[in-house]
Amino acid sequence: MKKLLASTFLAAGLYALAGSAQAAECGDVSIAEMNWASAGVAAQVDKFVLENGYGCTVTLVTGDTMPTFTSMNEKAEPDVAPEFWVNSVRTALDAAIAEGRLIQAAPLLSEGGVEGWWIPKFLADAHPDIKTVQDALKHPELFPAPEDASKGAVHNCPSGWNCQVSTANLYKATEAEKAGFTLVDTGSAAGLDGSIANAFEKKQGWLGYYWAPTAILGKYEMTKLSFGVEHNKAEWDACTAVPDCPAPKVNSYPVSDVYTVVTKAFSEKAGVAMDYMKTRQWDNGTVGKVLAWMGDNQGTNEDAAKYFLQTYPDMWTKWVAPDVAEKIKAAL
Amino acid sequence: MALCDVLPGFICKFPAISDTSIRMARKSIDDGFKALVRSYIDIIDAMVQPLQWFLNYLERLFVSSPWPIILLVMVAIVYFGSRNIRITIGTAVSMFVIGLLGLWNDTMVTLAMVTVCTLIAILIGIPIGILMARSDRVQSIINPILDVMQTMPSFVYLIPVVMIFGIGKVPGLIAVVIYAVPPMIRLTNLGIRLVDKEVLEAADAFGSSGWQKLKNVQMPLALPTIMAGINQTIMMSLAMVVVASMVGVGGLGKNVLQAINNQFFTVGFLNGFALVAIAIIFDRTSQAYGRRLQKHSEIIHG
Repeated sequence: MKKLLASTFLAAGLYALAGSAQAAECGDVSIAEMNWASAGVAAQVDKFVLENGYGCTVTLVTGDTMPTFTSMNEKAEPDVAPEFWVNSVRTALDAAIAEGRLIQAAPLLSEGGVEGWWIPKFLADAHPDIKTVQDALKHPELFPAPEDASKGAVHNCPSGWNCQVSTANLYKATEAEKAGFTLVDTGSAAGLDGSIANAFEKKQGWLGYYWAPTAILGKYEMTKLSFGVEHNKAEWDACTAVPDCPAPKVNSYPVSDVYTVVTKAFSEKAGVAMDYMKTRQWDNGTVGKVLAWMGDNQGTNEDAAKYFLQTYPDMWTKWVAPDVAEKIKAAL
Repeated sequence: MALCDVLPGFICKFPAISDTSIRMARKSIDDGFKALVRSYIDIIDAMVQPLQWFLNYLERLFVSSPWPIILLVMVAIVYFGSRNIRITIGTAVSMFVIGLLGLWNDTMVTLAMVTVCTLIAILIGIPIGILMARSDRVQSIINPILDVMQTMPSFVYLIPVVMIFGIGKVPGLIAVVIYAVPPMIRLTNLGIRLVDKEVLEAADAFGSSGWQKLKNVQMPLALPTIMAGINQTIMMSLAMVVVASMVGVGGLGKNVLQAINNQFFTVGFLNGFALVAIAIIFDRTSQAYGRRLQKHSEIIHG
C-alpha cells in the first residue's frame, strides 16, 4: 500500500513538473474578464491566444472598471485588462503610467467606444420626426416610466459608473424634468439591459443611456439620438462629467478611448506576448457581429471567442507571428 | 506520462451532451419563455399595478413627510412596542445621526421598502407555516422548495423577474420576499410542531375545536419561535435590499452599489451602518414586543 501511494505521488509530481515546464517561457498570467459582453469576449480571445500561442497559464478574474483598476494600480493584479474604458480614470491612469506601474497597450476598439442616448429603431421608424434628444423629450407619452406611466423616463446608467454623472447632468441640461420626464436609476448593467429587453417585449418606447459595441445593440436594433451640438471637451471636463455641476449645458458624448492596459510585471514575465498586446485591435462592426452571434446562439464568452477565431482568421493572424498563428489554428 | 494517455477517452473527459444541442435547448427554452411573457404581459402588468401604487404611495409618504413627524411616529411606535426607554432613545439618536449624515431620504426609501417586504413575508409565511405544521405531506413538499429559495442565487431569479416586471420596486420586492420568507415559514412550522402533546390533549379534553386549539393554544405557545422567524425575516429583507437595488430600487442599497463600483470606502460604510441601525431598531423593538406578548413562558421540550 505504501509503495503504491509513493509511486502515485511520484507520478503526480512528475506530471505536474511536465505541465509547468511547458509554461516556463511565459508564466502565470491573470486577465480581467469585465462583466460586459465585448470585454468578456476580448478576455477569452486573449486567454486562448496566450495559452495556445505563447504557452502561458491564464486565469480569468471577473471584474468591473473601477475595482479592477484599483487592484491593478495598487497590487498589480490582474496583469491584463483587455478592454479598458480609460476616460473614467484618465488622471489616475496617467499617473500610474508615468510612475511605470501600468502600461497602455493597443487601442482594442479601433474606432473607440460610442456612447449616447438611444431609442428603439421601431420607434424611430414610426416617428421620423424624432431625430434629436430634444425631439424625444417632446413626447413623454412615448417613453412611459416603469414605475409611473404618467411620466416619461430617461433610463440612467448603472450606479457608480461614470456615465451616471454625465447622464444626470445632460438630463438637467436638457430640462427633461420640465418636459414631464423622470430620471430612472437602473441600478446595474443587468437592470439596464433588462429594462431594454422588457421594453422590446412590450413593444414600448425606451429612452436612455447605452453604449456600443454591446450584445444588446446587436440583439435589439436601437437608434442613437443626437444632442444637436458638437462634443465640447472643455465643457465636458469642467462640468458634464462632474457630479452636482450647478449649471450643466447640453453637450454630446465623446468617443471613448478604449485601451488594453497591462501591468509592468506582465511586460517582464510575459514579454513574448507584449507585441500581441500592442498590436491587437478590432472594430465595432466585427465586435457587434460576434456579440450578435453570441446572443443568437446563447453562447458563453468562450464560445464567442472561439467563433471569432474561427470566423475571422484574416484579422487575427495579423496580430501574431506566423508560427504562433499556426499553433493557435492547431488548437482550434 | 499522463494517466489519461493510457485510459479510454470517456473516462478522462466526461461524456457531456454536445455543445450544439445544449445551446439549442437553451435557446428554445428562452424563446418559449419570451413568447409566454409576451402573451401575458398586459395581464401581469394589470395584476401588479395596485402593488406598484401602494409602494409608490408609501415611499412618497415616507420621503415627503416632514422629518420631525416621521421621527416622532417612529419613536412612538418603538416606545409603545417595546416599552423600553433605552431602545427608544437609541432609535431617536441613530435616526438623528442618519439625518445629519445626509442619508435621511435614502433611509426613508429603504424603510418603506423593508416595511412592505417584511409585512408581505409575514402575511405569506405564517399561513404556509401553519399548513406545514398540520400535515407531514405538505411539509415534505414545501421543504425542498424552501431549500431552493434560500440557496438559489438571487441574481438568477432576477433575470426572469426583470423580463416580466421591468425594473423598479415591484421586481425588487419579489426578489426580497423570495429570499426573506423561508425562515418565517420554517420557524412557524417548527414552533407549532414543538407544542407539547399533553397540552393539546388537555385542549381536546375540554372540547376545543381545531380553530380554538390553533388560536388559543398552539400559536401562543409557538410565539417565541415565530418571533424569531419574524426577526430573521426582517434581517434578511434588509440584507437583500442592497441586491434589489441592482434592479432599480433606490435608497441605501443604491449608494452601496455606487460605493462598490467606485471603491468609495467611506460612503459604503456609512450607508452600510445606516442599514445596520435600521436593522437593530426593528430587531430590538420586535423582540421586546414579542416578549410582552408572551403570557406563557416557553416550555422546555425534553
